[in-house]
Amino acid sequence: MSSVGKQSAAPDAVKNMVEITIDGKVVTAEEGSSLFNAVKWTGVELPAMCYHYSFSPFGSCGLCLVEVEGKKNNVRACTAKVVEGMVVSTGTEKMVEARKGAVEKHLTTHPLDCPVCDKDGQCELQDMAYDLEVYDIKDPKRKDIPEDTRSIVLDFNMERCILCCFYKKDKQKHVGAHGGETLYCEFCGDCLAVCPVGAIVSKFSKYTFKPWQLKKTETTCGFCSDGCTITLETNDRDIQVVTSELSYTSKFGYEVDPGEGHGGICVRGRFGFEYVMSSDRLSKPLAKGENGFQPIAWFSSLMEIGKRLNDIKSTYGPQSIAGLISGRCTNESVYLFQRLMRSVLNTNNIDTAARYGHMNSVHVLQKTLKIGKATVTAEQLALSDAILMVGSNLTETNPITALRPKASMTEFGGQLFVADTTKTKILNLATHPLHIALDSEADFIQALVKAVINKEAADPDFIETYPEAYAALKASVGPLSETALSEKTGLEWEKIEETAETLAKSKRGILLWGEGIIAKPDAVDHILRLIDLALLCGLLRKKGGGILPICEENNEQGAVDMGGVPEFLPGQLDYNSPSERDRFSNIWHTTLPTPGTDAPGLTLPEMIEAAHRGEIKALYLVGENPLGTLPASMKVREALEKVDLIICQDPFLTETGQMADYVLPSAVFAENEGTYTNTLGQVNRVVEAFDPRGEARPDWKVFTDLSKHLGHPMQYRSVEEIHNEIAKMIPGYYQSEAATPKPDAYLESEFIGHIAGRYTPSESRTPSETTRLSLEPVLYHSGKLTTRDQGLMKIYNKAVLLISEPDADALGGLITGDPVHIKSDLGQLETTVEISPDLPKGLVQFPLHFNDPPMKDLLKTEIDSRTKVITFKTGPVTLMRPASLDLRVVSKETTPETHENQEADAQGKEEKPS
Amino acid sequence: MKKLLQSAFFTEIIKALKLVFSHYFVKEVTLQYPHEKNTLPDTHRGALCLLRYESGEERCVGCDLCNAACPSYCITVVSAVEEKDHIQRRYATSFDIDMTKCVFCGFCVEACPVNALGMTKMYEYSTSNKRELDFNKANLYEIGETWYGQAKGYLIAHNQEGEDETVSEYRYRFPSSRKEEEVEV
Repeated sequence: MSSVGKQSAAPDAVKNMVEITIDGKVVTAEEGSSLFNAVKWTGVELPAMCYHYSFSPFGSCGLCLVEVEGKKNNVRACTAKVVEGMVVSTGTEKMVEARKGAVEKHLTTHPLDCPVCDKDGQCELQDMAYDLEVYDIKDPKRKDIPEDTRSIVLDFNMERCILCCFYKKDKQKHVGAHGGETLYCEFCGDCLAVCPVGAIVSKFSKYTFKPWQLKKTETTCGFCSDGCTITLETNDRDIQVVTSELSYTSKFGYEVDPGEGHGGICVRGRFGFEYVMSSDRLSKPLAKGENGFQPIAWFSSLMEIGKRLNDIKSTYGPQSIAGLISGRCTNESVYLFQRLMRSVLNTNNIDTAARYGHMNSVHVLQKTLKIGKATVTAEQLALSDAILMVGSNLTETNPITALRPKASMTEFGGQLFVADTTKTKILNLATHPLHIALDSEADFIQALVKAVINKEAADPDFIETYPEAYAALKASVGPLSETALSEKTGLEWEKIEETAETLAKSKRGILLWGEGIIAKPDAVDHILRLIDLALLCGLLRKKGGGILPICEENNEQGAVDMGGVPEFLPGQLDYNSPSERDRFSNIWHTTLPTPGTDAPGLTLPEMIEAAHRGEIKALYLVGENPLGTLPASMKVREALEKVDLIICQDPFLTETGQMADYVLPSAVFAENEGTYTNTLGQVNRVVEAFDPRGEARPDWKVFTDLSKHLGHPMQYRSVEEIHNEIAKMIPGYYQSEAATPKPDAYLESEFIGHIAGRYTPSESRTPSETTRLSLEPVLYHSGKLTTRDQGLMKIYNKAVLLISEPDADALGGLITGDPVHIKSDLGQLETTVEISPDLPKGLVQFPLHFNDPPMKDLLKTEIDSRTKVITFKTGPVTLMRPASLDLRVVSKETTPETHENQEADAQGKEEKPS
Repeated sequence: MKKLLQSAFFTEIIKALKLVFSHYFVKEVTLQYPHEKNTLPDTHRGALCLLRYESGEERCVGCDLCNAACPSYCITVVSAVEEKDHIQRRYATSFDIDMTKCVFCGFCVEACPVNALGMTKMYEYSTSNKRELDFNKANLYEIGETWYGQAKGYLIAHNQEGEDETVSEYRYRFPSSRKEEEVEV
């Protein structure tokens, strides 16, 4: 598409402004830009259907007609370019008649089934027919095109289609997948949002609503760490549709720079809403009795819990109580939970889901730069001229954030370097794909640092300010061999040098890392080196540049910021600092446990170890499911069995919930109020769309009620009051103030001492012959939560092992759909394979969302001694060809003359259903 | 003097008796309800009902326009998709009219694009249980079947519908849905 209508590209581009006359008014507009925009800015609303702010105009609807002096024919404003001295008139009678004619033309072939159409009431064609008073349609025609209902998510009703997205010369008259096949795409559903009529409808809400029945609530999505603003359209307590800014921003009065993002959402956000209405949701508190779980009243459950917690506290001491909170709870809930644990129960044993990876980033950032979050905004990501992504499958984990680097390439001519061991989608799209060898992240980052120094491309400011640090770094990378590094990473040295140099010389370079770094062993070392690279390239100093650590869950960042970890008080203040502790103990009118040998503040892995030793007597789990998340090798079940009292607060009855003594139903994101902090550190508002289902309660309410039974009531009447306290205690938090990195202290002291050992050729952790299993996130799911969602499970339910072609060949030519035995030291499983051309030899992947088969149990856990992060998403396995498969092959080839193996035949049929 | 004569001859009483007795010969006005009933015009707005096509198919497509038009918010429609013979149709899974709120304005009938709603001359549905006045879909179809002629008469009287052949004009033709097996490229 041409870039006529879009606001001009790179931030440093020069705009040439010219004067034109519109309806007698002289206005200035950018030369060569769309006339439609110029007219729009004068306040005149031109009708248009095919125009949309998020894409370039192509003039197919023929509604935005204007008269231009000197032109005989009517001019389509959207495709016309602004030229110096143009004289334009928009509202003449001739134009109104012409527009009326255009609408009539569209309506003659439109089926006029408005009353049953899902777009009725928000249809642009309908609005225009009313506005222009088109009531009589002469000889209407039916197109008689069958409705395409083959896709699992979208239905295409081509009778209603006004073909707005086609040029006249286009022969194809259908919207849908190429070649008339069944549509299977990412299902972001943005086509639903931009369709001006009801030609594309969602199967999930087809014929079930009318816009006037729905209440709109603008809230924040509760799946990934993008924190997209979504609009829940609800009818009573049912979510009917999820829309976003893209659906509602008036395209006539609004315009976005591509850097701002078009406001679309992804498949999870748009179609993953059915779990909210799921019948599996817990509706009443449950207490475990002799006959299993029995429903119990809220008051009695909280009273009993309060009594038992008090007993445990007085008998075994507060250190025998521990709490875990999920990264999906709101900031306010996490804040209240840590207050409950620290000020009411007097224990610092509290942890969040960030312990599965994101704490690595936070620890290193705090240590080196004295910040605890990303330093860039989404706009800066889009406007960046060089982005380096290491170990992040961004299009799958954070699909909307991933649009920004894409925009930086396509709109602003930025360069995108993606380093990954797999050929991910973003790697294939990147201007500079860097497909590195397995386990060579360490070498790759070291190579980059070396290349920057070799090329003398380091930030002059860095060299000048910290000459000693630079010298130490230079000395440290000195002995590294370029050939060895390039051999290990599988990249040519020139490529590495190019990457390093571009990043170092960029004006607004950004360094981004994700789950491929943080959730894998040695993450701390990787991140330390990445920070070295960022400092060396001066990314943190450059305006618009910076670093971006990606986390997984929607509020992982917020959970850490709110002090949901033993290391930090709210605001990521050091828990060991007595003065900071005093600040909080004063406002909470209590004393906080003093860190020390008797109150160390246990992290998640330490809690499990302590539980094994029988030291944990009570465990309070809020939305966390360690049994379902952690591999069997952690022996979580055995640990939990030794805990006297387990309280599980969750919307669903999880595996851990089955073991609990009390199960409390909690609200999900649509029923909650508060805020989420996304991976960029932005705080987004969560608004309650309807009351919780059944007797479920929001988390903060449960905490305040429970505190009354514990003898230390936390007096909060609403989320607003918690909100105000946070705003008071952490100034600037809700304003999402940008983090200012302060590397001085680190670079001048610790850095020089540590740097010597940081740059050493890495030793391979696993022999290269071994196959590695890696649990990877997929686009259609977020954690284990979405496996409860019927809609998303309908879209993606493939618990299959992705395997590379060479590996499949090595197993005797496996094909997609074949079974395979996968074995590790910890056990053996059978699963189905799918051949993926994107994987390198020696790597197999399994979606981490599915526990059937329990692939995670094959993996060993590793606990980082510095950050206590548990890594368990990768490990060595052996693949074996199942014997039944060979029998099947034999049975296929057997001719009638040879002996027929009936058993094998039967097995073959079982294994491979057609 | 005149006054005196009038009172002497009881003229007022005679006048009054004349009026009273003259009424013996006037046609009576009062109807002895419930033994006698009034004849209502076709345009009478009585109980609402839902109608079916001749084939027995429900006319209502669950478009909720009646609810949108209702000034007293007494209609609730819940719609869903139904697939029959490879055609996905919209239909109302539930259709409730709260007759205690209804003001009998007839807007819903006017708004209905498929003439599924009609008004009958039926007004005898008083009850001691208020909940029975919440007419659901089954009730409404029952009324529609019992009083089909009246509902039809109402629609004809309001120029919403002619005789039977014109009904099909308002009928929606949902497009047939294209399934996997019928792929034509």
